Amino acid sequence: MEKLLVFVEAKGDEPRKATIELLSETRNLSDAGSFAVTAVGLGKISEHAIEKVLGYADRFVRITDGLLDDYTPEGYSEALAAYARQEDVRLVLGAATQAARDFLPRTAVLLGAGIASDVTAIGWADDPMTFVRPMYGGRVPSRCTFTGYPAVVSVRPNAFAVAPAGARRGEYVEWRAGVSPDRIKTRVLRVERESKGKIDLMEADSIVTGGRGMKAAENFALLEELAAALGGAVGASRSVVDAKWRDQDDQVGKSGKTVSPKLYIAAGLSGAIHHVMGMDTSGVILAINKDPNAIIFNYADYGIVGDVMEVVPAMTAELKKRTGR
Amino acid sequence: MTIVVLAKQVPDPEALVEVRAGGTELQIEQKFATNLFDEYAIEEALRIKEKHGGKVTIITLGGPKATELLRTALAMGADDVLLLEDPAFLEGDGYATALTLSKAVATQGADLVLCGRQAIDDDRGEVGPMVAEFLGLPHVGAVMKLDIGDGAARAERAVEGGREVVEVTLPAVITAAKGLNEPRVPQVMGVMKAMRAQIPRTSPADLGLAPSDIGKAGSKLKIERYFTREKRAAVKFIEGTPDEQAAEAIRILADVERVV
Repeated sequence: MEKLLVFVEAKGDEPRKATIELLSETRNLSDAGSFAVTAVGLGKISEHAIEKVLGYADRFVRITDGLLDDYTPEGYSEALAAYARQEDVRLVLGAATQAARDFLPRTAVLLGAGIASDVTAIGWADDPMTFVRPMYGGRVPSRCTFTGYPAVVSVRPNAFAVAPAGARRGEYVEWRAGVSPDRIKTRVLRVERESKGKIDLMEADSIVTGGRGMKAAENFALLEELAAALGGAVGASRSVVDAKWRDQDDQVGKSGKTVSPKLYIAAGLSGAIHHVMGMDTSGVILAINKDPNAIIFNYADYGIVGDVMEVVPAMTAELKKRTGR
Repeated sequence: MTIVVLAKQVPDPEALVEVRAGGTELQIEQKFATNLFDEYAIEEALRIKEKHGGKVTIITLGGPKATELLRTALAMGADDVLLLEDPAFLEGDGYATALTLSKAVATQGADLVLCGRQAIDDDRGEVGPMVAEFLGLPHVGAVMKLDIGDGAARAERAVEGGREVVEVTLPAVITAAKGLNEPRVPQVMGVMKAMRAQIPRTSPADLGLAPSDIGKAGSKLKIERYFTREKRAAVKFIEGTPDEQAAEAIRILADVERVV
């Protein structure tokens, strides 16, 4: 049976949500007998994360090597390529997180393989297999095929739905990579973490983004409260980031992050094309703006013409009332 | 310090892009710009040169119009440019494009290679890391701050939920993200000089590449079809007082759309 390799990324003790989404999709293929699915974790990865992943994969291979303890694109790409080569896999897959998008292109070169990045849909049963990936900031989806295998694919977070872990439990194996020490020429000196509980924008199910209409940095507290009630994250428009009201990491749009949550709430932002390019593939879009002619309404499913300072807290209160939180 | 910047001319973010011929072609409004992230790369190269000395060479792969990008870079202060211009170079996937660019970089003996983290037309973000791998160099991706030291660089990159400070030995490839710098506007004198500059060109044969290995022919990922995104239905406005609007919005999101 042909093999799929799925790169597992963890965040603390947990596998990343985007990894579980991808594994949920590949488990269906494994259950149907179409592919054998091996999950691969590199370096340090918790028992808990391994346990969780084993509910989704036929095998979990942890590639061990002291040189993989810290993320380096050189080390990760070499280890994953070496294992993929040994196993003669059809596809190397990973959730399109920042790390995966950073090192999977190198894995592709090492394998002499093609790569499709940030894929939003896969036609597994098509012959040849097809991959849809957005271009031009999501305005033009393209359907692609590979001319040969193996091939490397990264899948955009929120492209596939999370399924509960199955009853079957895969086997756990360790494999020693033998990463060449000479190859490692980057060294992580330190990581500066922001508030720990913060939900990553790219993986969030709901996002509340504020624009200039928020009027001041401190008014983003209103959006933080709504996002907290939704269990989501807060984004920012470019002008807000340029005005230093919010951090660059929060920026949604062309020069920031591309997001695709189930719910996107645009609060007090005009809807510049740069912004729309980063959020247009979201599920449901609700826009709140005092200007009935704001361009953002052209891209929204629902619109509220009104003052964000009044509507947003009222939504938070209504949501809390409903959920009893 | 020899610095090479890989830059791409892309359709202006506001340019109209239409899917034609049953999805087999794109018709793109003829409005072009230097890829936003590559502008940061060019600016950073110039700042490094101004601080540490050296030479900045801009390389681009594209058609005759791509000379505009090179002239703009010259006007900003780049020393040298190179245009990879041949029909065989065009329409490559990440692999074919990175292979080609890596051969061009190899002719330069670069201490530092800079490029944008992704091009805003193909949205692949593959070329920087792939060029690095083809050249056997390390890379640091999506960099927001860069300090060049003796034989090494210190780079700050955004990672999910924080920032990572990475030390990398040179030569290396660095891909630029927003926040790295604010690109300068070319001065009139620079523009005048750039207008008169000769643009050197390189062919596949010059780089020792066979046409079958590069561009569309050498691509391992082929685009079969383009689609037009389905437009959302017209917006439905929620009326009433702020409290009524809020209550109705939450009702719709929870009970109709089931997203909260």
